[in-house]
Amino acid sequence: MRWGQGISILLGACLPGLTATSAQAQGYRLRLESQAQRAAFRGVTQDSILATDAIPAPSGGLQTADGFAVRCPPGNSFCFFFRPGPDLRGAPVVTSADLTLWGLGVRGLSIHVNGRAGFDVGDGVVWPGTEPNGQLIEGYAEYAHRLFTARGGRQLLASRLGIIGFDGGKATFRPGRYGLEAEAYLGLGLARATAIPLTSPALNPLDEFQPRRRQVLAGAAIGWSTRLTEIRLDYQREVDRESRHFASERTAISLDLHPLPRWSLAAGAEYDLANTWFGNADATLRYTAPWITVLGGVRQYRPHFDLWTIWGAFSPVPYHAVNSGVWLRPLRGVELRARWEHYVFSPTETETPLVSVEDRGHRLGVGISYSPIPTLSLDGGYREEEGPGAASHGFEATISFQPASELSLVAYGSTLDRPLEFRFQDVSVDALGFEAEWRPIERLRISVGAAHYAETRDRPDAAAFDWNQTRLTARVTLILRSQTDNAPLPPALPPLPRAGVR
Amino acid sequence: MKLVRLLVGVLVAGAVAAAGRTRGGVVQDRFDHWQHRAVFPTCVGCHTGAADPSLALWPAPRICQQCHDGTVERTVEWTAPDQPRATNLRFTHPKHAELIAKAAGVDSVLPCRSCHIAPGTDPMQVRLAVVSNCFTCHGIRASHFDAPDTACATCHLPLVQAVRLSRSAIRDFPAPASHREAGFTGALHGKLARAARPVAASCATCHAQDFCAQCHVNAPEVPAIQALAPDPRSLAIHAELEPPSSHADPAFLRQHGGQVRKSAATCASCHTQESCLTCHVGSPASVQAIRAAAPGRGKGAQVKRRRPESHGLDFSKTHAALASARPQTCAACHARPACLECHRPSAADAPPGYHPAGFLTTHPAAAYSRESSCSECHSQTQFCTNCHVSAGLISPGRLRGSGFHDAKQAFILNHGQAARQNLESCVACHAERDCLTCHSSAGGRRFNPHGPGFDPGTLRRKNSQACTVCHGALIPSSPGQ
Repeated sequence: MRWGQGISILLGACLPGLTATSAQAQGYRLRLESQAQRAAFRGVTQDSILATDAIPAPSGGLQTADGFAVRCPPGNSFCFFFRPGPDLRGAPVVTSADLTLWGLGVRGLSIHVNGRAGFDVGDGVVWPGTEPNGQLIEGYAEYAHRLFTARGGRQLLASRLGIIGFDGGKATFRPGRYGLEAEAYLGLGLARATAIPLTSPALNPLDEFQPRRRQVLAGAAIGWSTRLTEIRLDYQREVDRESRHFASERTAISLDLHPLPRWSLAAGAEYDLANTWFGNADATLRYTAPWITVLGGVRQYRPHFDLWTIWGAFSPVPYHAVNSGVWLRPLRGVELRARWEHYVFSPTETETPLVSVEDRGHRLGVGISYSPIPTLSLDGGYREEEGPGAASHGFEATISFQPASELSLVAYGSTLDRPLEFRFQDVSVDALGFEAEWRPIERLRISVGAAHYAETRDRPDAAAFDWNQTRLTARVTLILRSQTDNAPLPPALPPLPRAGVR
Repeated sequence: MKLVRLLVGVLVAGAVAAAGRTRGGVVQDRFDHWQHRAVFPTCVGCHTGAADPSLALWPAPRICQQCHDGTVERTVEWTAPDQPRATNLRFTHPKHAELIAKAAGVDSVLPCRSCHIAPGTDPMQVRLAVVSNCFTCHGIRASHFDAPDTACATCHLPLVQAVRLSRSAIRDFPAPASHREAGFTGALHGKLARAARPVAASCATCHAQDFCAQCHVNAPEVPAIQALAPDPRSLAIHAELEPPSSHADPAFLRQHGGQVRKSAATCASCHTQESCLTCHVGSPASVQAIRAAAPGRGKGAQVKRRRPESHGLDFSKTHAALASARPQTCAACHARPACLECHRPSAADAPPGYHPAGFLTTHPAAAYSRESSCSECHSQTQFCTNCHVSAGLISPGRLRGSGFHDAKQAFILNHGQAARQNLESCVACHAERDCLTCHSSAGGRRFNPHGPGFDPGTLRRKNSQACTVCHGALIPSSPGQ
């Protein structure tokens, strides 16, 4: 029944579009995309027994009669433990539309809309991201002039301070030919990384304190661009409309410098004016030649928390990292890559004599790609991540084949291990999957995929189990456009590699 | 007499056999003058037309038949050409003689050997005009194909006027030395073509408009090309666009926009708008400066979309600095939906993609160490916490020592370091009330959560409401209070 609903949604969204080619807009481009996946996950279920029912475990400690290790807090008449949770099967179906309209009678005026409708047609709403069911990601009118651009409506703001949505206006000025650009914006903000307001119940699964009114988002930026340098300064504040207090106030600088041919320096830093500390910052020096790319850099990572939460007052400490990477192209069709990063957390100034916690870590990856012919690519890699909390390491391999210009096939496999630091649970997962994409006409792409995951969750008690699942995916993408939009769909280049250490 | 006939016979036979061959390095005409040197002591005896335009240049066959009668010598089949040789030479004997007479006086006569005998060879080692002799008289101090381009038209007609040249003859034209110079296929050939207005005559010697339009998509707008007449035979010489060396520079992709804005005309030589739109989204102003493909223009450079060198290594994790420094650079090739694929991921999108296959299982490692900020793409509450709620990975209320973190004994009492290092991971499962159980001056155990870098004064000014969660109305003026 619910699958039927999903299929209805899918067709309902696509079929009107298929017949829309006779629409009378002066110029339009509409991208319709429907995706569906079937996936499952399995968590834990907390349980308890009377303390008197706990029995000694063979390896020491206490356990339930059926072998689950228990924890019995002193003075408590119950002991607690976690059983493996039930299989939770989600089947999210999401249809998105991206529409651009122009030629509306005013030169330079255009309208942009990007929206999404999603439903979980599986066993209850267990998969994140489908609620609320309808989400308007962007919807704005834009007027572009040689000297300025003005936008009004719901829009996304991308800067060093992140990508945040808001409902309001933005103006960008480009005075003269000196590469200068200034930007200012004002509106009611959305929550970070979503298209819904902070006040939405969908953002409060733990029933915590939540602002009752949307925050005011305001900011400005100035950028300067020359042949060798691109630099941008950002200032952004969010103010709670109810209490008139800041929810955040930050500034940032971004720099892309090309001092010498083949050398570039990309750097940036955020400064939190409310907490008076630097947030994320990084600098990467890169050398690029036709056969080699080498980079080295330093960076700091510190999370940002809005001031309407208490988390910033807990003084999250940053880590500092040095990293390097190399990308070699010694022969035609052969690429070798390696990257490495080592990081150390700043002192936390805590006293934890009974618990020793990792305060440093590293990550590395090596890989190779080989394309003996343009239509075939083989890729393999190893990645490793060791650090506080958890670690992972494993191998990945991908084969991409394009037997015809309208058909692409990808097969992949991986084997990964993931031990935890704070909980007894070493997991290993082996994955084997494929994807096929068919482009019967230039404006239509249909892809399907399937992957089988074999998972082992190892623990020294009865909570250990093996668990397998098969994930299925499907996607249909349709581009509709008016005759005034003569630009064809650019040749497909996957925006990101399908796998491998990149 | 018999000896003479034998000699003539040998000479004629030798002449036929040696047609087209070389002797002592000298290119021989089909008729071996050397073999006949004793029979024909003068040139104009046979080639009367060379001296008198009213007469034929070639001898009558009957003159040959006086000896080649089948008795004295074997018969030969030869007839005089019915039209001049297919060539692109301007030269005709009468015209040349007329010009000499005009320049040096009516009595001046240029002997045949001046052109047809190589210096230092026997007068009867006759060949087609010796180019070096032409050069000597015309003051060109170079070998044939090293002569300056300006010299070609001295002797040669434009291709379009050399109507009797076949395609194969045109195809076999040797290339002058200038064509092998570095940069010739780039700016140099244009510079040479414009050496004379509207176009250097040397270009027209071998080429016509059709030839140029093989590469030049702006052929209709280039005066030098338009000065050449059209001639489809010129396509016998195949030209193929070669990318200039500047395009191989790794920085080219990044900098070519500035070059287009500076000199779109240069780019428009080889590129149509379709070249730009292979990669670029939309039609930036600089693209408008380049013409669209149309009949009468060459197809131009065929651009293949490729990944910039900067994008190759781990770029998906490190692009933030570049993207935020100048978002317009990204927007030249990427439409907003491409960014949203990751930054506003669809619930129905599955790895592999940005994340590898199996990431759902292995994500704790990435979540703890935060190589990149998860919250750039995933809402902490909507995505992480919601899923953890479904999976039972949340604290169900006041902390009771549930034992989830069972790999560390007494973790709840000594979690401070882990919390300050990985607070984002903690809040994916824990609510504020979990922490306020102990970390609140309004109740609980009054453990001070403030650590390094905490600036109470500024924080209080920016948002005193956050302070009241723990301190109520009695917000201390310093963290120790």
